[in-house]
Amino acid sequence: MAINISNLNYIYMPGSPFEKHALRDINLTIHDGEFVGIIGHTGSGKSTLVQHLNGLLMPSSGSITVGDIEVTAKNADLKQLRQKVGLVFQYPEHQLFEETVYKDIAYGPKNMKLSPEEIDERVREAMNYVGLGEKYCERSPFELSGGQKRRVAIAGVLAMRPDVLILDEPAAGLDPAGREEILTQIRALYLAKKMTVLFVSHSMEDVARIAGRIIVMNNGSVAMDGSPADIFSRAKELRTMGLDVPQITQLVEELRARGLNINDSIYTLERAKATLLMMLSEKEKKNKEGKTC
Amino acid sequence: MLKDVTLGQYFPINSPLHRLDPRTKIVLLIFLIVAIFMANNIASYALLCLLTILIIGLSRVPARMYFQGLKPLWFVILFTALINVFLTPGTAIYICGRPTHMSWEGLILAGKMALRLVLLITASSALTYTTSPIILTDGIEKLLKPFSRFGLPTHELAMMMSIAIRFIPTLIEETDKIMKAQKARGANFDSGPILQRIRALAPMLIPLFISAFRRADELAVAMESRCYQGGDNRTRLNEIRFSHSDLVAALFFLVFFVAILMLRIFL
Repeated sequence: MAINISNLNYIYMPGSPFEKHALRDINLTIHDGEFVGIIGHTGSGKSTLVQHLNGLLMPSSGSITVGDIEVTAKNADLKQLRQKVGLVFQYPEHQLFEETVYKDIAYGPKNMKLSPEEIDERVREAMNYVGLGEKYCERSPFELSGGQKRRVAIAGVLAMRPDVLILDEPAAGLDPAGREEILTQIRALYLAKKMTVLFVSHSMEDVARIAGRIIVMNNGSVAMDGSPADIFSRAKELRTMGLDVPQITQLVEELRARGLNINDSIYTLERAKATLLMMLSEKEKKNKEGKTC
Repeated sequence: MLKDVTLGQYFPINSPLHRLDPRTKIVLLIFLIVAIFMANNIASYALLCLLTILIIGLSRVPARMYFQGLKPLWFVILFTALINVFLTPGTAIYICGRPTHMSWEGLILAGKMALRLVLLITASSALTYTTSPIILTDGIEKLLKPFSRFGLPTHELAMMMSIAIRFIPTLIEETDKIMKAQKARGANFDSGPILQRIRALAPMLIPLFISAFRRADELAVAMESRCYQGGDNRTRLNEIRFSHSDLVAALFFLVFFVAILMLRIFL
Protein backbone atom coordinates (compact mmCIF):
# COMPACT_ATOMS: atom_id res chain seq x y z
CA MET A 1 0.00 0.00 0.00
CA ALA A 2 1.52 3.28 -1.08
CA ILE A 3 1.89 6.23 1.24
CA ASN A 4 1.93 9.82 0.09
CA ILE A 5 2.92 12.68 2.36
CA SER A 6 2.95 16.25 1.14
CA ASN A 7 3.96 19.48 2.88
CA LEU A 8 3.45 17.91 6.28
CA ASN A 9 4.04 20.19 9.26
CA TYR A 10 3.47 19.37 12.89
CA ILE A 11 3.71 21.88 15.70
CA TYR A 12 3.70 20.52 19.21
CA MET A 13 1.69 22.52 21.79
CA PRO A 14 1.28 25.64 19.66
CA GLY A 15 0.96 28.97 21.48
CA SER A 16 2.49 27.79 24.74
CA PRO A 17 6.03 28.37 26.01
CA PHE A 18 6.71 24.72 25.15
CA GLU A 19 5.84 25.12 21.48
CA LYS A 20 7.99 23.03 19.18
CA HIS A 21 8.05 22.72 15.43
CA ALA A 22 8.45 18.93 15.36
CA LEU A 23 8.05 18.30 11.63
CA ARG A 24 8.84 20.75 8.84
CA ASP A 25 7.65 20.46 5.25
CA ILE A 26 7.88 16.72 4.87
CA ASN A 27 7.33 15.43 1.33
CA LEU A 28 7.62 11.70 0.89
CA THR A 29 6.29 8.93 -1.31
CA ILE A 30 6.63 5.38 -0.11
CA HIS A 31 5.79 2.77 -2.70
CA ASP A 32 3.90 -0.43 -2.21
CA GLY A 33 6.15 -3.23 -0.97
CA GLU A 34 9.11 -1.07 -0.03
CA PHE A 35 11.21 -1.73 3.05
CA VAL A 36 12.13 1.70 4.34
CA GLY A 37 14.47 2.42 7.23
CA ILE A 38 13.99 5.74 8.99
CA ILE A 39 16.99 6.91 10.95
CA GLY A 40 17.72 10.04 12.89
CA HIS A 41 19.01 11.37 16.16
CA THR A 42 16.79 11.43 19.28
CA GLY A 43 14.23 14.19 18.80
CA SER A 44 14.63 14.35 15.03
CA GLY A 45 10.93 13.64 14.51
CA LYS A 46 10.99 9.97 13.44
CA SER A 47 8.40 8.79 15.93
CA THR A 48 6.23 11.86 15.39
CA LEU A 49 6.27 11.19 11.67
CA VAL A 50 5.17 7.57 11.88
CA GLN A 51 2.36 8.39 14.31
CA HIS A 52 0.82 10.53 11.59
CA LEU A 53 0.55 7.55 9.27
CA ASN A 54 -2.28 5.91 11.17
CA GLY A 55 -3.98 9.03 12.37
CA LEU A 56 -2.79 9.01 15.98
CA LEU A 57 -1.45 12.51 15.42
CA MET A 58 -3.07 14.94 13.04
CA PRO A 59 -0.82 17.31 11.10
CA SER A 60 -0.87 21.05 11.77
CA SER A 61 -0.81 21.46 7.99
CA GLY A 62 -0.25 19.30 4.92
CA SER A 63 -1.85 16.10 3.71
CA ILE A 64 -1.30 12.36 3.97
CA THR A 65 -2.83 9.56 1.94
CA VAL A 66 -2.38 5.87 2.68
CA GLY A 67 -3.62 3.68 -0.16
CA ASP A 68 -6.96 5.20 -1.02
CA ILE A 69 -7.61 6.65 2.44
CA GLU A 70 -7.02 10.35 2.89
CA VAL A 71 -5.87 10.51 6.51
CA THR A 72 -6.19 14.25 6.77
CA ALA A 73 -9.78 14.37 5.50
CA LYS A 74 -12.34 15.42 8.11
CA ASN A 75 -14.42 12.25 7.85
CA ALA A 76 -11.51 9.83 7.42
CA ASP A 77 -12.29 6.31 8.58
CA LEU A 78 -9.59 6.02 11.23
CA LYS A 79 -10.66 2.56 12.30
CA GLN A 80 -10.20 1.26 8.78
CA LEU A 81 -6.89 3.09 8.53
CA ARG A 82 -5.51 1.70 11.79
CA GLN A 83 -6.36 -1.76 10.61
CA LYS A 84 -4.41 -1.24 7.40
CA VAL A 85 -1.46 0.46 9.03
CA GLY A 86 -0.10 -1.56 11.92
CA LEU A 87 2.05 0.49 14.28
CA VAL A 88 4.33 -1.23 16.76
CA PHE A 89 5.46 1.32 19.33
CA GLN A 90 8.77 1.54 21.08
CA TYR A 91 8.89 -0.96 23.95
CA PRO A 92 5.59 -2.49 22.81
CA GLU A 93 5.70 -4.99 25.68
CA HIS A 94 4.55 -2.16 27.96
CA GLN A 95 1.11 -2.33 26.37
CA LEU A 96 0.38 -5.98 27.28
CA PHE A 97 -2.55 -6.35 29.63
CA GLU A 98 -4.41 -9.64 29.19
CA GLU A 99 -4.18 -12.75 31.31
CA THR A 100 -2.92 -14.96 28.52
CA VAL A 101 -0.75 -14.47 25.47
CA TYR A 102 -3.58 -15.70 23.28
CA LYS A 103 -6.11 -13.18 24.60
CA ASP A 104 -3.67 -10.32 24.27
CA ILE A 105 -2.93 -11.06 20.64
CA ALA A 106 -6.67 -11.44 20.03
CA TYR A 107 -7.37 -7.92 21.32
CA GLY A 108 -6.79 -6.21 17.96
CA PRO A 109 -8.81 -8.66 15.81
CA LYS A 110 -11.57 -8.57 18.44
CA ASN A 111 -11.78 -4.80 18.10
CA MET A 112 -12.25 -5.40 14.38
CA LYS A 113 -15.40 -7.39 15.26
CA LEU A 114 -14.31 -10.56 13.45
CA SER A 115 -15.83 -13.98 13.97
CA PRO A 116 -14.23 -16.21 16.66
CA GLU A 117 -12.95 -18.63 14.01
CA GLU A 118 -11.34 -15.80 12.06
CA ILE A 119 -9.78 -14.41 15.25
CA ASP A 120 -8.44 -17.84 16.17
CA GLU A 121 -6.91 -18.29 12.76
CA ARG A 122 -5.27 -14.87 12.82
CA VAL A 123 -3.89 -15.28 16.33
CA ARG A 124 -2.27 -18.59 15.47
CA GLU A 125 -0.89 -17.22 12.23
CA ALA A 126 0.59 -14.20 14.01
CA MET A 127 2.13 -16.35 16.72
CA ASN A 128 3.63 -18.53 14.06
CA TYR A 129 5.17 -15.51 12.30
CA VAL A 130 6.95 -14.33 15.43
CA GLY A 131 8.04 -17.84 16.35
CA LEU A 132 5.87 -18.38 19.42
CA GLY A 133 4.78 -22.01 19.67
CA GLU A 134 1.42 -23.41 20.68
CA LYS A 135 2.54 -23.86 24.28
CA TYR A 136 2.66 -20.09 24.83
CA CYS A 137 -1.09 -19.61 24.19
CA GLU A 138 -2.18 -20.06 27.78
CA ARG A 139 0.87 -18.52 29.46
CA SER A 140 0.59 -15.11 31.12
CA PRO A 141 2.46 -12.51 29.06
CA PHE A 142 3.94 -11.10 32.26
CA GLU A 143 5.98 -14.18 33.05
CA LEU A 144 7.80 -14.23 29.71
CA SER A 145 11.27 -12.86 29.01
CA GLY A 146 11.73 -9.38 27.54
CA GLY A 147 12.28 -10.64 24.00
CA GLN A 148 9.29 -12.98 24.16
CA LYS A 149 7.04 -10.22 25.51
CA ARG A 150 8.04 -8.03 22.62
CA ARG A 151 7.21 -10.78 20.15
CA VAL A 152 3.78 -11.16 21.74
CA ALA A 153 3.22 -7.42 21.31
CA ILE A 154 4.33 -7.49 17.67
CA ALA A 155 2.07 -10.49 17.05
CA GLY A 156 -0.77 -8.42 18.52
CA VAL A 157 -0.34 -5.95 15.69
CA LEU A 158 0.30 -8.60 13.01
CA ALA A 159 -2.95 -10.35 13.93
CA MET A 160 -4.78 -7.38 12.43
CA ARG A 161 -3.17 -8.27 9.09
CA PRO A 162 -2.01 -4.78 8.22
CA ASP A 163 -0.83 -3.89 4.72
CA VAL A 164 1.71 -1.46 6.10
CA LEU A 165 3.77 -2.40 9.12
CA ILE A 166 5.54 0.34 11.06
CA LEU A 167 8.03 -0.65 13.72
CA ASP A 168 9.42 1.99 16.06
CA GLU A 169 12.78 0.79 17.39
CA PRO A 170 11.73 -2.86 17.54
CA ALA A 171 15.14 -4.03 18.70
CA ALA A 172 15.76 -1.39 21.39
CA GLY A 173 16.82 -2.75 24.75
CA LEU A 174 17.17 -6.37 23.65
CA ASP A 175 20.28 -8.49 24.04
CA PRO A 176 22.22 -9.33 20.84
CA ALA A 177 20.50 -12.69 20.41
CA GLY A 178 17.02 -11.24 20.87
CA ARG A 179 17.91 -8.43 18.52
CA GLU A 180 19.08 -10.82 15.85
CA GLU A 181 15.95 -12.90 16.18
CA ILE A 182 13.56 -9.94 15.88
CA LEU A 183 15.37 -8.53 12.85
CA THR A 184 15.46 -11.89 11.08
CA GLN A 185 11.77 -12.40 11.73
CA ILE A 186 10.88 -8.95 10.43
CA ARG A 187 12.84 -9.59 7.29
CA ALA A 188 11.21 -13.01 6.80
CA LEU A 189 7.80 -11.49 7.42
CA TYR A 190 8.44 -8.83 4.82
CA LEU A 191 9.46 -11.40 2.24
CA ALA A 192 6.56 -13.72 3.03
CA LYS A 193 3.73 -11.21 3.24
CA LYS A 194 4.96 -8.64 0.73
CA MET A 195 3.88 -5.83 3.02
CA THR A 196 5.21 -2.31 3.09
CA VAL A 197 7.50 -1.96 6.08
CA LEU A 198 8.73 1.20 7.80
CA PHE A 199 11.48 0.53 10.25
CA VAL A 200 12.45 3.31 12.65
CA SER A 201 15.80 2.92 14.30
CA HIS A 202 18.92 4.71 15.31
CA SER A 203 21.14 1.72 14.81
CA MET A 204 22.96 2.09 11.51
CA GLU A 205 23.92 -1.60 11.55
CA ASP A 206 20.31 -2.77 11.75
CA VAL A 207 19.05 -0.41 9.09
CA ALA A 208 21.94 -1.21 6.75
CA ARG A 209 21.24 -4.91 6.95
CA ILE A 210 17.54 -4.87 6.52
CA ALA A 211 16.26 -1.83 4.60
CA GLY A 212 16.14 -1.28 0.85
CA ARG A 213 15.76 2.46 1.18
CA ILE A 214 16.82 4.83 3.94
CA ILE A 215 15.30 8.11 5.01
CA VAL A 216 17.41 10.28 7.29
CA MET A 217 15.56 12.70 9.55
CA ASN A 218 17.22 15.71 11.10
CA ASN A 219 15.58 18.49 13.10
CA GLY A 220 12.12 17.59 11.88
CA SER A 221 12.87 17.48 8.19
CA VAL A 222 13.99 14.85 5.72
CA ALA A 223 17.74 15.34 5.35
CA MET A 224 18.52 12.45 2.99
CA ASP A 225 16.57 9.84 1.12
CA GLY A 226 18.13 7.05 -0.93
CA SER A 227 19.57 3.56 -1.08
CA PRO A 228 21.82 2.39 1.77
CA ALA A 229 24.85 2.66 -0.51
CA ASP A 230 23.88 6.24 -1.28
CA ILE A 231 23.34 7.26 2.30
CA PHE A 232 26.39 5.61 3.79
CA SER A 233 28.72 7.13 1.22
CA ARG A 234 27.88 10.50 2.79
CA ALA A 235 29.54 9.74 6.11
CA LYS A 236 30.66 13.30 6.76
CA GLU A 237 27.13 14.74 6.49
CA LEU A 238 25.75 11.96 8.67
CA ARG A 239 28.26 12.79 11.35
CA THR A 240 27.21 16.43 11.45
CA MET A 241 23.69 15.16 12.30
CA GLY A 242 24.98 13.13 15.21
CA LEU A 243 24.68 9.91 13.23
CA ASP A 244 27.32 7.59 11.89
CA VAL A 245 27.88 4.95 9.25
CA PRO A 246 27.91 1.24 10.22
CA GLN A 247 31.13 0.14 11.88
CA ILE A 248 31.98 -2.14 8.99
CA THR A 249 31.74 0.81 6.58
CA GLN A 250 34.09 2.71 8.86
CA LEU A 251 36.55 -0.18 8.67
CA VAL A 252 36.32 -0.27 4.87
CA GLU A 253 36.86 3.49 4.77
CA GLU A 254 39.96 3.10 6.91
CA LEU A 255 41.32 0.30 4.71
CA ARG A 256 40.84 2.42 1.62
CA ALA A 257 42.58 5.35 3.26
CA ARG A 258 45.56 3.04 3.79
CA GLY A 259 45.71 2.25 0.10
CA LEU A 260 43.61 -0.86 -0.28
CA ASN A 261 41.64 -0.80 -3.54
CA ILE A 262 38.21 -1.66 -2.15
CA ASN A 263 34.68 -0.79 -3.15
CA ASP A 264 33.26 1.83 -0.78
CA SER A 265 29.60 0.86 -0.87
CA ILE A 266 30.02 -1.94 1.64
CA TYR A 267 27.77 -1.65 4.67
CA THR A 268 27.12 -5.18 5.82
CA LEU A 269 29.42 -7.64 7.49
CA GLU A 270 28.61 -10.43 5.01
CA ARG A 271 29.45 -8.28 2.03
CA ALA A 272 32.69 -7.08 3.59
CA LYS A 273 33.75 -10.61 4.42
CA ALA A 274 33.05 -11.84 0.90
CA THR A 275 34.87 -8.91 -0.70
CA LEU A 276 37.92 -9.18 1.51
CA LEU A 277 38.17 -12.94 1.00
CA MET A 278 37.93 -12.47 -2.74
CA MET A 279 40.67 -9.86 -2.69
CA LEU A 280 42.88 -12.15 -0.62
CA SER A 281 42.49 -15.10 -2.99
CA GLU A 282 43.20 -12.86 -5.97
CA LYS A 283 46.33 -11.66 -4.28
CA GLU A 284 47.44 -15.22 -3.58
CA LYS A 285 46.81 -16.16 -7.18
CA LYS A 286 48.96 -13.28 -8.36
CA ASN A 287 51.72 -14.28 -5.95
CA LYS A 288 51.68 -17.82 -7.28
CA GLU A 289 51.72 -16.63 -10.89
CA GLY A 290 54.69 -14.44 -10.01
CA LYS A 291 56.56 -17.46 -8.64
CA THR A 292 55.97 -19.69 -11.66
CA CYS A 293 57.32 -17.09 -14.05
CA MET B 1 -4.82 16.07 24.68
CA LEU B 2 -3.36 14.87 27.96
CA LYS B 3 -0.32 17.05 27.47
CA ASP B 4 -2.48 20.12 27.98
CA VAL B 5 -2.88 19.32 31.64
CA THR B 6 -0.50 21.60 33.46
CA LEU B 7 0.08 20.77 37.07
CA GLY B 8 2.29 22.88 39.24
CA GLN B 9 2.42 25.17 36.17
CA TYR B 10 5.92 26.41 36.88
CA PHE B 11 7.00 29.03 34.35
CA PRO B 12 10.70 28.46 33.77
CA ILE B 13 12.28 31.92 33.44
CA ASN B 14 14.52 34.04 35.62
CA SER B 15 13.08 36.94 37.59
CA PRO B 16 13.60 38.61 40.97
CA LEU B 17 10.62 36.63 42.23
CA HIS B 18 12.02 33.34 40.92
CA ARG B 19 15.22 33.94 42.84
CA LEU B 20 13.60 34.49 46.21
CA ASP B 21 13.86 31.84 48.90
CA PRO B 22 10.77 29.58 48.69
CA ARG B 23 10.26 29.97 52.43
CA THR B 24 10.03 33.74 52.05
CA LYS B 25 7.52 33.34 49.27
CA ILE B 26 5.34 30.89 51.18
CA VAL B 27 5.29 32.97 54.37
CA LEU B 28 4.69 36.22 52.52
CA LEU B 29 1.86 34.60 50.58
CA ILE B 30 0.23 33.60 53.86
CA PHE B 31 0.56 37.19 55.10
CA LEU B 32 -0.84 38.51 51.85
CA ILE B 33 -3.86 36.21 52.12
CA VAL B 34 -4.47 37.41 55.67
CA ALA B 35 -4.15 41.00 54.42
CA ILE B 36 -6.66 40.33 51.64
CA PHE B 37 -9.17 39.11 54.21
CA MET B 38 -8.49 42.07 56.50
CA ALA B 39 -9.07 44.69 53.83
CA ASN B 40 -12.41 46.36 54.33
CA ASN B 41 -12.33 49.70 52.52
CA ILE B 42 -11.53 51.19 49.15
CA ALA B 43 -8.10 52.45 50.15
CA SER B 44 -6.90 49.07 51.37
CA TYR B 45 -8.26 47.33 48.29
CA ALA B 46 -6.48 49.86 46.10
CA LEU B 47 -3.27 49.16 47.98
CA LEU B 48 -3.73 45.40 47.55
CA CYS B 49 -4.36 45.80 43.83
CA LEU B 50 -1.22 47.87 43.48
CA LEU B 51 0.82 45.26 45.30
CA THR B 52 -0.60 42.45 43.17
CA ILE B 53 0.28 44.35 40.00
CA LEU B 54 3.78 44.88 41.39
CA ILE B 55 4.07 41.13 42.07
CA ILE B 56 2.92 40.28 38.55
CA GLY B 57 5.49 42.72 37.17
CA LEU B 58 8.30 41.33 39.30
CA SER B 59 7.50 37.74 38.34
CA ARG B 60 8.08 38.59 34.64
CA VAL B 61 5.44 35.98 33.82
CA PRO B 62 3.18 37.34 31.05
CA ALA B 63 -0.08 38.75 32.45
CA ARG B 64 -2.10 36.52 30.14
CA MET B 65 -0.85 33.50 32.08
CA TYR B 66 -2.52 34.94 35.18
CA PHE B 67 -5.74 35.44 33.24
CA GLN B 68 -5.53 31.83 32.12
CA GLY B 69 -5.20 30.82 35.76
CA LEU B 70 -8.44 32.64 36.51
CA LYS B 71 -10.32 31.03 33.65
CA PRO B 72 -11.37 27.80 35.36
CA LEU B 73 -12.66 29.82 38.33
CA TRP B 74 -14.71 32.52 36.65
CA PHE B 75 -17.83 30.47 37.24
CA VAL B 76 -17.20 30.34 41.00
CA ILE B 77 -16.49 34.08 41.03
CA LEU B 78 -19.67 34.84 39.11
CA PHE B 79 -21.74 32.51 41.26
CA THR B 80 -20.61 34.05 44.57
CA ALA B 81 -21.17 37.50 43.12
CA LEU B 82 -24.75 36.63 42.13
CA ILE B 83 -25.53 35.10 45.53
CA ASN B 84 -24.21 38.25 47.20
CA VAL B 85 -26.18 40.59 44.99
CA PHE B 86 -29.46 38.80 45.60
CA LEU B 87 -29.20 37.62 49.16
CA THR B 88 -27.68 40.62 50.96
CA PRO B 89 -30.38 42.60 52.72
CA GLY B 90 -30.31 46.39 52.21
CA THR B 91 -31.61 49.18 49.98
CA ALA B 92 -33.29 47.58 47.02
CA ILE B 93 -32.13 48.45 43.52
CA TYR B 94 -34.87 49.89 41.32
CA ILE B 95 -35.03 48.79 37.74
CA CYS B 96 -37.64 50.57 35.58
CA GLY B 97 -39.08 52.10 38.72
CA ARG B 98 -39.77 48.78 40.38
CA PRO B 99 -37.86 47.31 43.38
CA THR B 100 -35.96 44.08 42.74
CA HIS B 101 -34.42 41.49 45.02
CA MET B 102 -31.01 43.00 44.37
CA SER B 103 -29.57 45.47 46.86
CA TRP B 104 -26.91 48.17 46.64
CA GLU B 105 -25.14 46.73 49.65
CA GLY B 106 -25.16 43.36 47.93
CA LEU B 107 -23.70 44.81 44.77
CA ILE B 108 -20.83 46.41 46.66
CA LEU B 109 -20.21 43.24 48.66
CA ALA B 110 -20.28 41.19 45.47
CA GLY B 111 -17.68 43.47 43.93
CA LYS B 112 -15.47 43.17 46.99
CA MET B 113 -15.77 39.40 47.15
CA ALA B 114 -15.04 38.99 43.47
CA LEU B 115 -11.99 41.22 43.83
CA ARG B 116 -10.86 39.21 46.83
CA LEU B 117 -11.10 35.95 44.94
CA VAL B 118 -9.24 37.35 41.95
CA LEU B 119 -6.49 38.71 44.22
CA LEU B 120 -6.23 35.43 46.11
CA ILE B 121 -5.90 33.34 42.98
CA THR B 122 -3.48 35.74 41.32
CA ALA B 123 -1.24 35.88 44.39
CA SER B 124 -1.18 32.09 44.75
CA SER B 125 -0.48 31.63 41.05
CA ALA B 126 2.45 34.01 41.44
CA LEU B 127 3.93 31.49 43.89
CA THR B 128 3.42 28.43 41.67
CA TYR B 129 4.50 30.24 38.51
CA THR B 130 7.79 31.35 40.03
CA THR B 131 8.69 28.33 42.15
CA SER B 132 9.38 24.90 40.72
CA PRO B 133 7.49 22.14 42.55
CA ILE B 134 10.69 20.60 43.84
CA ILE B 135 11.93 23.86 45.35
CA LEU B 136 8.48 24.45 46.77
CA THR B 137 8.50 21.14 48.64
CA ASP B 138 12.03 21.94 49.86
CA GLY B 139 10.66 25.17 51.26
CA ILE B 140 7.72 23.42 52.90
CA GLU B 141 10.05 20.90 54.45
CA LYS B 142 12.22 23.62 55.95
CA LEU B 143 9.21 25.48 57.25
CA LEU B 144 7.82 22.35 58.90
CA LYS B 145 11.19 21.38 60.38
CA PRO B 146 10.37 22.70 63.88
CA PHE B 147 7.44 20.30 64.07
CA SER B 148 9.66 17.27 63.60
CA ARG B 149 10.47 17.64 67.28
CA PHE B 150 6.90 16.58 67.97
CA GLY B 151 7.23 13.50 65.82
CA LEU B 152 6.12 14.87 62.46
CA PRO B 153 8.14 13.06 59.75
CA THR B 154 8.80 16.25 57.79
CA HIS B 155 11.55 14.93 55.57
CA GLU B 156 9.62 11.83 54.59
CA LEU B 157 6.51 13.89 53.85
CA ALA B 158 8.47 16.29 51.68
CA MET B 159 10.21 13.42 49.88
CA MET B 160 6.89 11.76 49.15
CA MET B 161 5.53 15.02 47.82
CA SER B 162 8.56 15.60 45.59
CA ILE B 163 8.39 12.09 44.18
CA ALA B 164 4.66 12.35 43.53
CA ILE B 165 5.08 15.69 41.77
CA ARG B 166 8.09 14.46 39.84
CA PHE B 167 6.17 11.51 38.43
CA ILE B 168 3.04 13.34 37.33
CA PRO B 169 4.43 14.31 33.90
CA THR B 170 6.03 10.89 33.48
CA LEU B 171 2.75 9.12 34.12
CA ILE B 172 0.86 11.49 31.84
CA GLU B 173 3.33 10.71 29.08
CA GLU B 174 3.04 7.01 29.77
CA THR B 175 -0.77 7.15 29.66
CA ASP B 176 -0.60 9.00 26.39
CA LYS B 177 1.70 6.39 24.92
CA ILE B 178 -0.34 3.40 26.07
CA MET B 179 -3.55 5.01 24.83
CA LYS B 180 -2.00 5.51 21.43
CA ALA B 181 -0.66 1.96 21.34
CA GLN B 182 -4.09 0.51 22.14
CA LYS B 183 -5.79 2.86 19.70
CA ALA B 184 -3.42 1.53 17.06
CA ARG B 185 -4.88 -1.89 17.90
CA GLY B 186 -8.38 -0.60 17.33
CA ALA B 187 -9.30 0.39 20.90
CA ASN B 188 -12.12 2.88 21.26
CA PHE B 189 -11.98 5.03 24.36
CA ASP B 190 -14.43 7.77 23.56
CA SER B 191 -17.66 6.33 22.26
CA GLY B 192 -20.19 3.66 23.10
CA PRO B 193 -22.39 3.08 26.15
CA ILE B 194 -20.94 3.95 29.54
CA LEU B 195 -20.39 0.36 30.69
CA GLN B 196 -18.54 -0.49 27.52
CA ARG B 197 -16.42 2.62 27.90
CA ILE B 198 -15.43 1.66 31.44
CA ARG B 199 -14.48 -1.81 30.23
CA ALA B 200 -12.48 -0.24 27.41
CA LEU B 201 -10.29 1.40 30.04
CA ALA B 202 -8.82 -1.89 31.25
CA PRO B 203 -6.32 -2.18 28.36
CA MET B 204 -5.06 1.27 29.36
CA LEU B 205 -5.18 1.06 33.17
CA ILE B 206 -3.55 -2.34 33.59
CA PRO B 207 -0.36 -1.47 31.68
CA LEU B 208 -0.32 1.92 33.43
CA PHE B 209 -0.45 0.38 36.90
CA ILE B 210 2.15 -2.20 35.98
CA SER B 211 4.51 0.49 34.74
CA ALA B 212 3.86 2.68 37.81
CA PHE B 213 4.74 -0.22 40.11
CA ARG B 214 7.79 -1.04 38.02
CA ARG B 215 8.97 2.57 38.22
CA ALA B 216 8.34 2.72 41.97
CA ASP B 217 10.31 -0.47 42.40
CA GLU B 218 13.20 0.76 40.27
CA LEU B 219 13.27 4.07 42.11
CA ALA B 220 13.32 2.31 45.48
CA VAL B 221 16.21 0.09 44.39
CA ALA B 222 18.09 3.06 42.95
CA MET B 223 17.65 5.02 46.18
CA GLU B 224 18.67 2.11 48.36
CA SER B 225 21.71 1.29 46.28
CA ARG B 226 22.86 4.86 46.88
CA CYS B 227 22.39 4.34 50.61
CA TYR B 228 19.53 6.78 50.80
CA GLN B 229 18.47 7.46 54.31
CA GLY B 230 16.04 10.25 54.96
CA GLY B 231 15.80 12.53 57.91
CA ASP B 232 18.56 13.73 60.19
CA ASN B 233 21.98 14.92 59.14
CA ARG B 234 21.12 14.83 55.48
CA THR B 235 22.65 17.68 53.49
CA ARG B 236 21.50 18.93 50.11
CA LEU B 237 23.10 19.76 46.81
CA ASN B 238 21.22 23.02 46.40
CA GLU B 239 20.81 24.56 49.80
CA ILE B 240 18.07 27.19 49.88
CA ARG B 241 19.33 30.43 51.41
CA PHE B 242 17.75 33.43 52.94
CA SER B 243 19.49 36.23 51.07
CA HIS B 244 19.62 39.99 50.97
CA SER B 245 16.68 40.30 48.59
CA ASP B 246 14.58 38.07 50.84
CA LEU B 247 15.18 40.54 53.65
CA VAL B 248 14.18 43.45 51.42
CA ALA B 249 11.02 41.62 50.34
CA ALA B 250 10.14 40.75 53.93
CA LEU B 251 10.66 44.34 55.15
CA PHE B 252 8.63 45.72 52.29
CA PHE B 253 5.82 43.33 53.13
CA LEU B 254 5.96 44.28 56.78
CA VAL B 255 5.45 47.94 55.92
CA PHE B 256 2.63 47.02 53.63
CA PHE B 257 0.99 44.76 56.18
CA VAL B 258 1.12 47.46 58.84
CA ALA B 259 -0.41 49.90 56.33
CA ILE B 260 -3.37 47.57 55.73
CA LEU B 261 -3.77 47.12 59.46
CA MET B 262 -3.77 50.92 59.99
CA LEU B 263 -6.32 51.42 57.22
CA ARG B 264 -8.57 48.87 58.86
CA ILE B 265 -8.34 50.46 62.30
CA PHE B 266 -8.45 54.15 61.43
CA LEU B 267 -10.68 54.33 58.37
